[in-house]
Amino acid sequence: MTTALPPQAYGSLYADISEILFTADEIAAKVQELGRAISEDYAGRNPLLVGVLKGVVPFMADLLRAITIPVQVDYLAIASYSAESRQRGTVRLEKDLDTSITGRHVLFVEDMIDTGLTLNYILRSLRAREPAGLEVCTLFNKPRRRLINLPIRYKGFDLPDRFVVGYGLDYREQYRNLPFVGLLRAEVLTR
Amino acid sequence: MKSDSDENITFSHPLEVEFARILNYYQIEWQYEPRTFPLQWDERGAVTQAFSPDFYLPGQDLYIELTTLRPKLIRIKNRKIQRLQELYPDINIKLFKRSDLRDLMLKFGLDEEAAPIRGTDAQDNGR
Repeated sequence: MTTALPPQAYGSLYADISEILFTADEIAAKVQELGRAISEDYAGRNPLLVGVLKGVVPFMADLLRAITIPVQVDYLAIASYSAESRQRGTVRLEKDLDTSITGRHVLFVEDMIDTGLTLNYILRSLRAREPAGLEVCTLFNKPRRRLINLPIRYKGFDLPDRFVVGYGLDYREQYRNLPFVGLLRAEVLTR
Repeated sequence: MKSDSDENITFSHPLEVEFARILNYYQIEWQYEPRTFPLQWDERGAVTQAFSPDFYLPGQDLYIELTTLRPKLIRIKNRKIQRLQELYPDINIKLFKRSDLRDLMLKFGLDEEAAPIRGTDAQDNGR
């Protein structure tokens, strides 16, 4: 059981959700499961967990506490494709890692993988820094939309091909604070 | 990087332009309609139906077809893709539906590009 507030406590945010796909308890159980597997696989290797801001923050915070071995964490920030950034032509790193990953066992942690475009770009950049190992852990996965085939070592839930929010996943920077993951009402997308 | 220059390509839909820009942004090599697959022939062997997927990603050996058709109207396109997979089983092809494109545009905050393909069918019914 988590200490998450009931969905109704989220008022207007909850009103925009048509269906809860994964409750806070289901997510917590899955994160514990992933944490256990990572703790076993990386024992004695002091892994560095790397995430991309901002969607991964809730998952990273919970995953870290579910890992029982010594571990470090660091974050990247990149400018995603947008009406503004497309003028620049290519991805820009807005915040680099503070830690050198050369020779380290790196576990890249994602909230959701869909097309794989962003992840592919980041993994290429991280591989060039010659880590001892580089694996991927994602809580949510949309395999049907994958454009780039990427190896995923740890995977939580598969998601349907619909717009979902909560637990870090946003729509226009909202809904990240919901402790569950749900489908956004269609009319919200057409507002 | 891209294997073709955008300036030399006539895209058939504005969303194809945006899709190509997204691939460029993430440094994914792509080609636009590089191959046409015959799907049907008449008794003299002349091709009567063919299909040219919109994009090809050489690095992934993957063809991508984009469609902005509403779910109810997508049947013909689905049939063509099914036929292509029967005739060319080694070809990898992915259909990016209206809802996939809409979600992609919304994810990148491209409200203007998402506006013409907004609808409630896919989000409500999962189609």
